[in-house]
Amino acid sequence: MATTALRPAVPARSALYEWVTTTDHKKIGILYVINSFIFFGIGGLLALGVRAELAFPGLQFVEDSAYNQLFTVHASAMLFLFIIPMLAGFGNYAVPLMIGAPDMAFPRINALSFWMLPLAGIVMMSGFLVQGGAAAAGWTSYPPLAEATYSGQGTDLWIVAVVLIGTSSILGAVNFLVTIFKLRAPGMTLLRMPIFAWTILVTSVLVLFATPVLASGLIMLFIDRNYGGNFFDPATGGIAVLYQNVFWFYSHPAVYIMVLPAMGIISEILPVFSRKPLFGYKAFIFATAAIGALGFSVWAHHMFTTGSVFLPFFSLMTFLIAVPTGVKMFNWIGTMWRGHLTFPTPMIYALGFLTMFLIGGINGAFSASVPVDFALHDTYFVVAHLHYVLFGGSVFAVFAGLFFWFPKMTGRMLDETLGKIQFVIMFIGFNLTFFPMHQLGLAGMPRRIADYSSTAGWNDLNLVATVGSMLIGVAMVPFLVNVLISLRSGKLAGDNPWDANTLEWATTSPPPPYNFDHLPDIRSERPVFDTRHPEAAAH
Amino acid sequence: MTTPRRTGPSPAIVILIAGALSVLAFLGILLLQGPDLAAQLQSVVDSFFPPAAVTEQGREIRNLYDIVFWVGAVIFFLVEGLIIFAVIRYWRRPGKSADLPPQTHGNNLLEVVWTIIPLAIVLALFVISWQTLNTVDARSANPDVSVRAIAARFQWTFEYLKPDGETVEFTQLSPEMVVPVNETIHLKLRSPDVNHAFYVPEFLFKRDVIPGQDNNFDFVADQTGTYRGQCAELCGAQHWAMQFTVRVVERAEYDAWFAEQRAAAQATPAPSASPGAPSGPQIDLAAANIAFDKATLEAPADTPFTINFENNDAGIPHNVEIRDADGVSLFKGEIFNGVDSRLYAIPALPAGDYTFICTVHPNMTGTLSVR
Amino acid sequence: MSAPTAALTPATHLPDTAAHRKGIGTPVLGMLLFITSEVMFFAGLFAAYFSIRGAAPEWPPVQFEEVLKIFPLVGPATVLLIISSFTGQLGLRSLRRGDRTGFIRFYAITMALGLTFLVMQGIDYAILYSEGMTLDAGTFGTTYYTLTGFHGAHVIGGVIMLGVVLYRGLAGQFSERHYDAPEAALLYWDFVDIVWIVLFTILYVLP
Repeated sequence: MATTALRPAVPARSALYEWVTTTDHKKIGILYVINSFIFFGIGGLLALGVRAELAFPGLQFVEDSAYNQLFTVHASAMLFLFIIPMLAGFGNYAVPLMIGAPDMAFPRINALSFWMLPLAGIVMMSGFLVQGGAAAAGWTSYPPLAEATYSGQGTDLWIVAVVLIGTSSILGAVNFLVTIFKLRAPGMTLLRMPIFAWTILVTSVLVLFATPVLASGLIMLFIDRNYGGNFFDPATGGIAVLYQNVFWFYSHPAVYIMVLPAMGIISEILPVFSRKPLFGYKAFIFATAAIGALGFSVWAHHMFTTGSVFLPFFSLMTFLIAVPTGVKMFNWIGTMWRGHLTFPTPMIYALGFLTMFLIGGINGAFSASVPVDFALHDTYFVVAHLHYVLFGGSVFAVFAGLFFWFPKMTGRMLDETLGKIQFVIMFIGFNLTFFPMHQLGLAGMPRRIADYSSTAGWNDLNLVATVGSMLIGVAMVPFLVNVLISLRSGKLAGDNPWDANTLEWATTSPPPPYNFDHLPDIRSERPVFDTRHPEAAAH
Repeated sequence: MTTPRRTGPSPAIVILIAGALSVLAFLGILLLQGPDLAAQLQSVVDSFFPPAAVTEQGREIRNLYDIVFWVGAVIFFLVEGLIIFAVIRYWRRPGKSADLPPQTHGNNLLEVVWTIIPLAIVLALFVISWQTLNTVDARSANPDVSVRAIAARFQWTFEYLKPDGETVEFTQLSPEMVVPVNETIHLKLRSPDVNHAFYVPEFLFKRDVIPGQDNNFDFVADQTGTYRGQCAELCGAQHWAMQFTVRVVERAEYDAWFAEQRAAAQATPAPSASPGAPSGPQIDLAAANIAFDKATLEAPADTPFTINFENNDAGIPHNVEIRDADGVSLFKGEIFNGVDSRLYAIPALPAGDYTFICTVHPNMTGTLSVR
Repeated sequence: MSAPTAALTPATHLPDTAAHRKGIGTPVLGMLLFITSEVMFFAGLFAAYFSIRGAAPEWPPVQFEEVLKIFPLVGPATVLLIISSFTGQLGLRSLRRGDRTGFIRFYAITMALGLTFLVMQGIDYAILYSEGMTLDAGTFGTTYYTLTGFHGAHVIGGVIMLGVVLYRGLAGQFSERHYDAPEAALLYWDFVDIVWIVLFTILYVLP
C-alpha cells in the first residue's frame, strides 16, 4: 500500500522541544508509559527494600520508622504513579486510533494531565528529604496516625502529590469521555467500538465520580493537619472512621480503575491470537458496566473489622461483584475455545494474566465472607490477594499491551526470545514472592510490620518471598535490554504485524501525526479484520 | 477443516513448565523442613488453613473458612483446567494454514448459565457467612469476665473490670491477658491515641481499636494454653512490636491469679525497690521514647548485681528482662509505668553474653556482657 | 489495503459550529463532565458534614447557636449570586441573538456580582472570626469554613472563567455561531450558584 504522507506545515524543532511541548496523543501516550515505568522502577526498588528487611527476623537494614516509609511510598508510587497512569497512557495512545479519530478531544488538557504526573512524583519522593521522612502511615494514610501529632511533613507532601495526580486523572477522564462520545469515525457506533475503548469509557466514569471524593478526604486531612481542623479528631467532635469511609468510597472503585483497562487489553489480545472475535462482546460490556456500578457499593468491605459498618449489605454486594467478573473469565475462555491459538509474547502474558487473576479473584472472595475476613483482614493474605490482582493481573496485562503495541508505537518488533525469557523469570519470581503470603497471612502474620518474632514460625516463607522478589527484579533486565535493542534494530513491523482487528492497525507503524490517510468501512468491532477477511465478516 | 499436525513442543508448554516449576519450587521449599515426608506433606496441606481455633467463635469461623476454601479450590481447578485444556487443544502452529476457525460471536444461553450458577453459589456463601457472623458477633447479657484492653503506642495493657463493666479492679501492665477457660469473656477495646487492632491468630479473629469508639466483643476460649497476639492496624514505628499473649487457664488457677493481682493493686505502693535486698555493683539503665538509652551493659560474672532502671516514658509500662542465648528468661523485673524507677536485684550469672529486653516492647533490646 | 474508497474528505467533516453540529458541543460536554466531578467533590465534603453533625450531641454547639446570621451580609449576598445567574443567562441569549454588546454587558455584570459576593463573604468571615468562630473552633468551625471556603474558591474560579470569556469576547472571538466557551463558563457559574443555594439552606436555614 502506498502512503502519501503529508508534509508538515511547520518545520520540526529539536526532538526534545517536540516531546516537551507535544499535544499529540500518541506522543503523550508514550510519555505516560515512560514516566509510569520510571515509577514502576522506583516502587520496585522500594519493594526490594521491604523484602530485604523481612528476609530474616531482626531489623538488619533500616529502622522501623524508615521501614514504614518504604512500604507507604512503594504502594503509593505503584498505585498512583505507575498503574493508573500507565493504563491511562495506553488509553491515550490507542483509543483515538481505535475509534478513527485524529486526536483526543482536548489535546492541550491532555498534555497538562501528563505533565502534572512527573511533578507530583517529585513532590511525593521529596518526602524522603524532609525532617521526619516521607509519608509513613501506609498508602491509606488513616488518621489519627496521619494527623500532625504523629506524622510529619512527608505526609503533607504526599497529600499534595496525590491531589495533583487525582486532578490529572479527572482531566484525563473528561478527555476520554468527550473523545469517545464525540470523535468516533463515521460508522463506529458505540456497539462497534473496540472493547478496550469500552473499558476506558467505564474507567473514566469511575474516575470522574470517585476521584473527587478522594480529593475531598485528603483535603480534610490536610486541614486537620495544618489549620487546626477537627474532621477526624474524636477529642473535639470529629470522627476517626469518617476518613476511612470517604477514603474507601474512592479507593474501592480505584481498584477497578486499575484493572478494567487491563482486562480491556487482554480482551483485545485474546481474539487476535485466537483468530476469532471476543466471545460475548455485549455481555462483556454489560459485565464491565456492572463491575463499575457495583464497585461503588462495596467500599466498606475494607472496614469490616472497624465495628462501625453495616456488614450484611457490604458483604452481599462484594459477593455479587464476583458474578460479572466470572462472566468475563468465561468469555475469555470462550474466545480461545475452538480457536486457532498462537503464542507470541503478548498472548503468553495474556495467559499469565488469566491464571493469576483467577487466583486473585478467588482469594478476594474469601474476604467477602465477613467472619473469614475477621481472620484475614490486615494480614499477608490480603497482601497476596492485592498483588495477584494488581501484579499478576494488571502488570502482566501491561506487559502484554507493551509487546502488542510496541510495534505500532515504534515501527519495530520486540524480540520474542527475550520476551519469553522475561516472562518465565517474572512468572516464577512473582509466584515465589506472593503465593507464600497466603500461608503467612493464614498463620497470623499482620501487614505493615517492620520485623517479626523469630519464634512465630514465619522465617522460611519470608525468605522464599524475598528470593522471589529478587527474581522479579532480575526479570526487568531482559525487558530493558529488549526495549533498547529493539528500538535500534528490531525487525520492522509494518502496518499490521499481528494480523490484528482494530483500526490502529489500519495505518502505518508508527502512524502519521494525523493518524489516518484513509479509514476502512466500519461495520463491526473488527473493521481491519473485516477488510482482510471479507468472507468471514458477515454477522 | 483438518486437524493440525503438531511437529514440536507448543510454545504454550513454556508457560506450563514455568507454572509447574513454580509449584515444585514452592513445595520443595516447604518440604525442606526435615525427613518425615508424611508430616511434611501434612504441614503443606495445613498451611492452606488457619491455625486450629481455640475459641467457640473461632471454630465457627474455621468451619466457614473450610467451606469457602473448598468452593474456591473447586472453582480454581475447574476454570484453570478449562484454560489449560484450551491452550493445549487449540494450539495451531503459525503459518500452518490460512483458514479461520468458526467465527463464533457468543452464545446467549451460555451467558445466562454462567451468570446464574455463580450467582447461586455466591448467594449461598453469603447466607452461610451471615449466619456465622450472627453467631460470632453475639453478645452475652451476663459475661463471666469483663476486661478492657487498652491499645496505646506501643503496648497492650489490660484493665480487669468489676461486674458493673466499668470500675477497674486492677490494671495488668504485663502484656498478658489471663482468662478462665469455657467462660464468656467480654472484651472492651479502647485507644487513647491512634487506630490499633486486637488480633489473636488462633482466635481467627480481630477487631479494630478506634479512638472515640466503643468496640467490644465476647469470646469463649474452650482450650487452655497460651496464645500469641499482636496489633494488626498500623499505628506507628513500633507497630510490629505491640505484641501480647492470652493465657487461658482453669477457673481455679484464674481465681488464684486474680486474687493475687487484686491484692497487689490494693496494697500500698511498693517502695522503689524490688523484693530481695539489692546488692553488689549497680548499673544504670533508662528508657525513653520506647527505647533503652544503652545498647550494651556490662556486669561482673558470678556476682549478684543491681540495675537501677529509670522509666522516663510517662504512662508507659517498661521493665528489664534478661534472657540467655537460647531465649530462656532468667530474670523478669517488675513492669511499672513511667515516670518512675526501680532497683532490680539480679542474681549471679555465669560469664557470657545475654540479652536484656523489655517484656512489653520487644524492640527494646540490647546485649548484657557478663565477664 | 484496498483503494481509498472511504477516504475522509472535508465534505464529510461537519463544521464545528453551533448551527451545524449534531448533539451537544464538545466544550459543553466537557464542562458538564467536569462539573460532575466537582459535584462529587462537594458530595464528599457534605458527607463529612452530615456525619459529624449526626454524631454531635447538639448542633450548632451552644457557643455558636446565634453566630451564623443571614443578615446583613450572607442573605443579600445569596440574592446577588442568584441574580448573577440570571444576568449571565441574559448575556448568553444576547450572544445567541447576535447582540455582542449585550453579551459583554451582561457577562460583566455577572462577574461584578460574583466579585461582590466574594467581598461580602470575606467581610462576613472577618466578623465571624472576631466573634470567636474560627476554623479550629471545633467541628462546627471546621466544617463551616471548609464548605463555604471551597465554595468561595470555586466562585473565584468561576470569576476567572468569566474574565477570560469577557476578554475573548472583547477581542471579538464569539458570535451567534460561536458561543461554546461562554456557554460552558455559564454552566460552571450556574453550578457554583446551585451549590451555594444548597449550602445556604443547609448551613443557615435548616438549623
